[in-house]
Amino acid sequence: MTAFRAVVLEHFRRPRNRGLLADATVSAEGANSLCGDRIRIQLRVVDGAVVGAGFTADACALCIASASLLTDHVRGMSVARAALVDAQWVHTAIEGRPPPGRARCAALPLETLRRAVASLCAVTL
Amino acid sequence: MRLLDHLDPLLSGEPAVALATLIAATGSSSKKIGARMVVGHSGRLIGGVTIGGCVDAQVIEVADALVATGGRRLLSISLDDDEAWEIGLTCGGTLEVLVECVRLRGGGDAVAAAHRSARAFLDNDEAAVIVTPLDGATGALVIAESGAHHGSLGDTLDAGASAVAADVLLTGSRVETIGGRRFFFDCHAPPTTLVIVGAGQIAMSLTCLARELEMRTIVVDGRERYATPARFPDADDVRVGMPSEIVATIRAGKRMAIVLVAHDYKYELPILRQLLRAPVGYIGMLGSRKRGAAVRDLLRDEGFTDGELDRIRTPIGLDLGGNSAAEVALSILAEVVATRSGNRR
Repeated sequence: MTAFRAVVLEHFRRPRNRGLLADATVSAEGANSLCGDRIRIQLRVVDGAVVGAGFTADACALCIASASLLTDHVRGMSVARAALVDAQWVHTAIEGRPPPGRARCAALPLETLRRAVASLCAVTL
Repeated sequence: MRLLDHLDPLLSGEPAVALATLIAATGSSSKKIGARMVVGHSGRLIGGVTIGGCVDAQVIEVADALVATGGRRLLSISLDDDEAWEIGLTCGGTLEVLVECVRLRGGGDAVAAAHRSARAFLDNDEAAVIVTPLDGATGALVIAESGAHHGSLGDTLDAGASAVAADVLLTGSRVETIGGRRFFFDCHAPPTTLVIVGAGQIAMSLTCLARELEMRTIVVDGRERYATPARFPDADDVRVGMPSEIVATIRAGKRMAIVLVAHDYKYELPILRQLLRAPVGYIGMLGSRKRGAAVRDLLRDEGFTDGELDRIRTPIGLDLGGNSAAEVALSILAEVVATRSGNRR
């Protein structure tokens, strides 16, 4: 199995939602300290709904594709639903489990999204 | 030698020094116009106006005298002497060396003031030209890249000096005649800023060698365990974060050299997208020709032109035949220097 399935290549070469979100409600950063992937996920939330999602990253193709798919997915969701997106959804979106040793690459955007949602909830509370 | 960096430490330790500057040369000269030597009151020597030997000895003799008496002298030194000619070892040509006494205490010395002023411009990342009269007149004019200036040669001369200085900033230090009088235009440029992306072994060697070359080094990586001050004691700055964002905060200009040695497209691509259309002096990327071609293909698909992509030096460095990290670092810095001096385009 290769990490570079067509969907991964497509989202790496033409990532959706890449760039800084000017009016973000919340922002979270994540890093893989060994391989050096770094990502920032930003959400714009209005009335409990994610109306905007974006990311910036210096990261590998798998991580960028995962972030691209994930930010597309959560846009329009309630914050509560966005918090429930799991690794299984990511694996389905990238059309299979990541190859051995690359699980962290695909998981980093999801972990960072969860951190963003958690900090949003902390602010709301 | 960056005399400006040595001036303040000298100020605290010496009442006066003599500053010798190579201002002109005909025939062969092993040093660049603007090469300097400082001769201290205590006898200490920093730098040199030639590679040594008889010329520096003559300069030191004059400098020792000037430190005691003050003032400024212009030496014209022939590189031909009878003995050397007889045995076929003469270099040939003449040198002109300006020797000035700099009084370091009291704050009233024009030469010290001019150098302090130039350094203030350099600290602001701006090149500056110090204009010194060679006819015995005192005073100096400092003209910055932006046109800002400090001091004066007199109302009738300042405008002409500014026009020459603008050219000197592009072409280097030289002697020029304005209004029938000779002046030395001494160009001081800020150091090359070497931005090293990827904090591995080659980066460690790069920071070490770059220090000798008087470059300012910034090491960038996304990995905290790699980019640490303990691993890079010779670096001027070590930064951890998203590399493309860090690089975006560094002022891009002709005196910036970016060296991509992470060997990882995740860092290379975002940074190349930023810098291929920026006026950066040097862009090098570690990797084989095949890998370099693949990176170019990706960027070409994004709309970068062949002219822009040709700016990427890959395989990086001059081919010196070495393979160790230090040898690769040496080849990279050799290419940076060659590019900076116009010997490689």
